[in-house]
Amino acid sequence: MRNVVVTLAALTCLIGGVAVAEDAAKPASTSAETTATTVCQNCHGPNGNSVSATFPRLNGQQADYIAAQLKNFRDHSRSDPHARAYMWAMASQLDDAAIDALAHYYADQKPTLPQSGGELAATGAKIYANGVEAQNVPACQTCHGDHGDGASVIPRIAGQHGDYLRHQLEAFREELRESDVMHANTKDMTDSQIEALVSYLGND
Amino acid sequence: MTGRRTWISSSLLKGLSVLGLALAVLPQPASGVPSFARQTGLACEACHTVFPQLTPFGRTFKASGYTLFNTLKVQDIDKLKHSTLSLSDLPPISAMVMASTSMATKANDPNSTAGSTDFPQQASLFYAGRISDNIGAFIQITYDDQSGSFGMDNTDIRFADVANMDGHTVVYGVSLNNNPTVQDLWNSTPAWSQPFISSPAMQGPAGAAQIQGAMAGVTAGLSTYVFVDQAFYAEIGGYRSALQGASVANVGDPADPNVTNIISGIAPYWRLAYEYDWGNQSLEVGTSGIYAELRNPTTPAGFAINTSLQHALTDNFTDYGLDGQYQYITDDNQLTVTAAWVHEHQALNASFVTENAMDPGNNLASNPSNNLDSYDVVVSYYWQRKFGASLGFYGVNGSTDPLYFGTVSGNSNSAWGVAEVDYVPWLNVKLGLQYTLYTKFDGATSNYDGLGRNASDNNMLFAYLWVSF
Repeated sequence: MRNVVVTLAALTCLIGGVAVAEDAAKPASTSAETTATTVCQNCHGPNGNSVSATFPRLNGQQADYIAAQLKNFRDHSRSDPHARAYMWAMASQLDDAAIDALAHYYADQKPTLPQSGGELAATGAKIYANGVEAQNVPACQTCHGDHGDGASVIPRIAGQHGDYLRHQLEAFREELRESDVMHANTKDMTDSQIEALVSYLGND
Repeated sequence: MTGRRTWISSSLLKGLSVLGLALAVLPQPASGVPSFARQTGLACEACHTVFPQLTPFGRTFKASGYTLFNTLKVQDIDKLKHSTLSLSDLPPISAMVMASTSMATKANDPNSTAGSTDFPQQASLFYAGRISDNIGAFIQITYDDQSGSFGMDNTDIRFADVANMDGHTVVYGVSLNNNPTVQDLWNSTPAWSQPFISSPAMQGPAGAAQIQGAMAGVTAGLSTYVFVDQAFYAEIGGYRSALQGASVANVGDPADPNVTNIISGIAPYWRLAYEYDWGNQSLEVGTSGIYAELRNPTTPAGFAINTSLQHALTDNFTDYGLDGQYQYITDDNQLTVTAAWVHEHQALNASFVTENAMDPGNNLASNPSNNLDSYDVVVSYYWQRKFGASLGFYGVNGSTDPLYFGTVSGNSNSAWGVAEVDYVPWLNVKLGLQYTLYTKFDGATSNYDGLGRNASDNNMLFAYLWVSF
């Protein structure tokens, strides 16, 4: 039994040793990838495709949007509950160069597509394309694009976790997350309209 | 309850003294600690549903050696720009205080009261945080009001690193710890399973597997592990006896009650687990075990062989078990379900052939070998990490061996439930009200000790305050 213990321990260390050697051989230009795959990945998943709906998908997200949000976390100008609990700390030691590198690393990853289908999603598609005049909800596609891809500091929302989308829309509506534009767009939005948009755009 | 044995019999005075000493050195429940939050800048909810229950991120933080930081640090490098120093600018020190009051259905014995108030029930100081880039520690020193003394409590010092191999994230490391399963990542193994706190006056069944706390605080284990893609976990290691307040290298008297249950050589420990995460949910299934050959073993009845540690026969314990954990975690709802089964085979090579010096004419065990099975299922739920409730079912079943277990029934078969409600006004403060109900105790529902005591006499109402800062 003791020989088995020693052998397996040595194998584990060997695996680790190989891994360390591979890391050491990487050029400095991959530091953003290293940070993403050793730190960010713990919540945001491999390539930014997070498993948990608590944490947004970052794969294929707009680089300018990621950079703007990381800077907002760093200077605490974004202060919704999850920003305080998680991202204020995680962004606190990032300089502008690291933020830009991370933003471009995630923007370059293949995005997740929406999973829309069914009657509710069809209702969501109408809201997305046309808005809801009675609730002062403008057409989402005006800013987020025809397919929810976003542009520059306007985020990609297509293919995001449904729960995450729901929480963000609620946070904008309740002014837990700061955005004058998004608060104006969501302040009269009903829960059922939010569910319809989530059904159209989201992918769990 | 796990790992605590406070069974008392008026006919077994020596057993009482041995148990009292054992209780004094057993690690007590611990928690997630604020120094981790100070080091990482992350709120408690990142790593815990409610302390000390871990979230998936908390498991990764632990596997990664407690080294994640987001604070300024004191650092140095050599000429090759390799890090030679990386200290937090704040010492990772935390404190914890537990206070409680409890009321049993009936006093444990005619000389005791049914009620007990403990302030503090336990007070702990922690070093919990990074030591260098790849080394971190969770070290707990605890004052326990039952022993009236300070002692080493749960300790887990780790080296860990992370690598990417063909697209897989591999966290790997080494843990030096003092309690089998204290290094584990899930709350379904003994060291971190519910209930996280119990009344010091609580009675427990005579029998428990070695891995369920008997080796806590009196062993030193070195194990190596890999955690791949936050899913597959494998660990293997070994434990040796590391007594507190005594030494196997300087035994003056074989009857010294501190020098019992000494591991012969190394006790191998192993652990395999797989976690699948999806959406807001996670599911883990795992198995773990330990094999320990114990010199100078103490029986559940409280008797020890008290022979020389050299060339002595050993009682050999093979523990293996299955465990599982399901979690559903959102901002509003935090549900955790754990289940575990532990089987122990007891080869009583020493106890079966050794005469009990305190009971001449009888040996220490009736059987050459016994089997013992323990199980538990616990459901806990919190709403907005503020109001919580949990319900747990526990049981022990095993062989009948009157001399070994020292019970009237000859076994330690027991069944009980624990219900608890919690209020968490702040994330580092918990108020709890707990009720434990026994339906069977040491093999009987009524008159289990032959002196008229019933299983339900051990029912316990327990209220506590638990703060960390």
